[in-house]
Amino acid sequence: MTAQTQTTVPTDSNWIRLRNFILQHGFNIVLIFVLLFYSLSAPRFLTSANLISLLHAAAPMMIIAAGLALVVMTGKLDISVGSVAFLTSSIGTILMVRNGFDPLLTLVIVLVIGLLIGMLNGFLVVVLKISPLIATLGTMISLRGVGLELTRSTTISLPEDIRRLGNLTVGSVFVDSLIALAVLVIIHIVVTRTPFGRWLIAIGNGEETAARLGIRTRQVTYLSFILSSLLATLGGIVTVIQVGAASPSIGSGLEFTAVSVIVIGGISLFGGEGSILPGALRGVLILEIIRNGLNHLGADPYAYRFVNGAIIFIAMYADSLRARLPVTPRTSESSKPSKST
Amino acid sequence: MATPYLEMRGIVKRFPGVQAVKGVDLQAYAGEALALIGANGAGKSTLMNILGGVLRPDEGEIQIAGKRVEIHSPLQATANGIAFVHQEMAMLPTMTIMENIHVSSFPTRGGLIDRQSMERSTQAVLDRVGCQFAPNTRVQYLSTGDRQMVEIARALLSKPSIIIFDEPTSSLTSREKARLFDVIRSLKADGVTIIYITHFLDEIFDICDRATVMRGGEHAGSGLLKDLTIPALVHWMIGDLDMTQHAKKEVSQSTEVVLKVRNLNRRGILQDINLTLHKGEVVGLWGLLGSGRTEVARAIVGLDPIDAGQIEVNVGGSLRLVKAREAHKWIGMVTEDRRNEGLLLPMSVKQNMSLANLRGLLTRWKLVDTRRETALAQQFVERLNIVISRLGQPVQTLSGGNQQKVVVGRWLELNPPIFFMDEPTRGLDVGAKADIRDIIFELAESGAAILLISSEIEDIMALAQRYVIMHRGQIIGELPGSATRSDLMAAAVGAVPTAETGVTA
Repeated sequence: MTAQTQTTVPTDSNWIRLRNFILQHGFNIVLIFVLLFYSLSAPRFLTSANLISLLHAAAPMMIIAAGLALVVMTGKLDISVGSVAFLTSSIGTILMVRNGFDPLLTLVIVLVIGLLIGMLNGFLVVVLKISPLIATLGTMISLRGVGLELTRSTTISLPEDIRRLGNLTVGSVFVDSLIALAVLVIIHIVVTRTPFGRWLIAIGNGEETAARLGIRTRQVTYLSFILSSLLATLGGIVTVIQVGAASPSIGSGLEFTAVSVIVIGGISLFGGEGSILPGALRGVLILEIIRNGLNHLGADPYAYRFVNGAIIFIAMYADSLRARLPVTPRTSESSKPSKST
Repeated sequence: MATPYLEMRGIVKRFPGVQAVKGVDLQAYAGEALALIGANGAGKSTLMNILGGVLRPDEGEIQIAGKRVEIHSPLQATANGIAFVHQEMAMLPTMTIMENIHVSSFPTRGGLIDRQSMERSTQAVLDRVGCQFAPNTRVQYLSTGDRQMVEIARALLSKPSIIIFDEPTSSLTSREKARLFDVIRSLKADGVTIIYITHFLDEIFDICDRATVMRGGEHAGSGLLKDLTIPALVHWMIGDLDMTQHAKKEVSQSTEVVLKVRNLNRRGILQDINLTLHKGEVVGLWGLLGSGRTEVARAIVGLDPIDAGQIEVNVGGSLRLVKAREAHKWIGMVTEDRRNEGLLLPMSVKQNMSLANLRGLLTRWKLVDTRRETALAQQFVERLNIVISRLGQPVQTLSGGNQQKVVVGRWLELNPPIFFMDEPTRGLDVGAKADIRDIIFELAESGAAILLISSEIEDIMALAQRYVIMHRGQIIGELPGSATRSDLMAAAVGAVPTAETGVTA
């Protein structure tokens, strides 16, 4: 037997390198092109006033996406975030408007409710072992139902002094933009610098492997759902204050926007991959810039949905491509085992 | 070398129904590597899981450095200086090397991970295993061999005095293997006690100082490797059973080729597989678990993708080139995993048997002819001696042996010219095993060509007219039907079957 064949060592061709480059930086490239295009075609796009209002509009989504990202990094999904935002902010509005609760007390109550909903989601997924998609689909539908029942599907205006908070600025930047950026920074540190954050990523790499390494996967997963729900609650509060009223449309379809933000931001739905900064932030900005720019161009308002859909599709495809691509090892020692005699 | 560093005495472990370890003694010395060898099911893994704290022994005691220790959990094992490098690596590909190494207990400062201390301790263990890459390299960019080094580095983090390696080379290339051996040598030089579990007898002479052989849950022999040879170890592994010569049933040989496989390759798994099956013969595909036996069968019938290779099947008297996926039309596949691969458990015996043949049972209106379905099922139930209460009985209520017969019956309905039998008797009782053997023999007698894969040496010796030997994804030779048990055992561990003399290095 003379079986000493050298198997071909995989070498990256230019095409593969280009493909990898596009997969890794694709949305940065898109972002640059979009910015260039709008700046040239819509004169009012690249003004500080517009950029400030852009950050203002994007604030709720930044907060919600930061929370959802934690769940997605474990390879799971929480699509109840839109309903959580709607229900909790509606309850808060009702407590203040109808029952005359103190705003600060209301804030605490609302956050506690958000926490309880997170615990419910965590319970469904971790203890009852229901698939995250189905579990949070259930809470998404039922929580919206509860919210619609409580508000009787009507729009309830916030008290005047609360509404004014929506226009609060530091310098010329809106306070909610600053809060959102602070949330992103904090969650970024949690993900990159705390054991909990790294365990999220570890679980996303493979729950069984993580468990074998001694990580308490159940607790970590549970906590990720709680944080997701809490941040969705905070996002809902910011939205209601911006709008000035709790309306039945708040948070509707928001879970899908949030998921697309996540995917566009390069956070893999398969788990274990992605970042808050720049990832999630970039995802929010890309969607918001496209919407904002289309407005400036006076485009058909329905065009946004179409463009949005196309971007989500491309992002998903890129994600699944990335997951399928074999990673070529840097040190390739691929000689075949030879048999010693 | 007066006293052993690690001593296990009279270890007994019972599982429901079996005694996996029957009072085994084991001694290992500081600065030496002990090879722990034995056939599948000899009790090596059970013994080492006891040492690693994964299992608790029913009887016996463990002494380390002359002191009796209690090991009731992996944590306690670590506390006693024992580290386990498992065969199956636990790697988190999207994370860095240092994170992979520290993930179960990150060093923290004020709630945040202390990256500097993490990097320092990682660099220290990486240096020890001779790895050049930076601690913040992502593991996904590492080759299998490098990952193995990371796995070892992780084990070194707790500064163990005893390291258990479980089949560390099974997925390594020869160069990676050499690197691993260098690391083990340097660990030995540092006075670490190594326990090295393996199937590959050839490599223990390179790296180990002593060997302990287990057979059937018992201690079969121990000694210094410089005093031992491969045949001696094989003898310990399998005992004196060689005397019982099997009365092999002779099947009339035919020279008509029914299946010819040429240069089948699957990167990293199979290399240059050439195989010919003749009409009416039983060929034993022999090798260790993980040598690629099952993979050969799966590749030929198209269950796994192949990178290169030609498959020819005899159709109507002449060989025809077929695609791997097509080959399944002529090849009946009976697998060990009848529950997952072969059968649809909640469905009835009848439905399971007709499943592969539904197209052949259609009426004019392209509906399944239930009367013929029943008649055929009845016929094969009788022929195969399947014990059932009725044809509509769900398959999951049958015994393993009867389930296996249903799988065979399904293929008999199609009457393929070739059968691949992958561990057809695994988990069956003696009577059922004999029945399956008879069925295989009858199939061969009626002209089918059979490729038999089995870890049960009795089965394969009773049936095979020749043996094709596999080792690490390659076919390394052939043995005639008259080969003895020790020929087969030696061949399986990679000692070239043509060499009659013992191979010692």
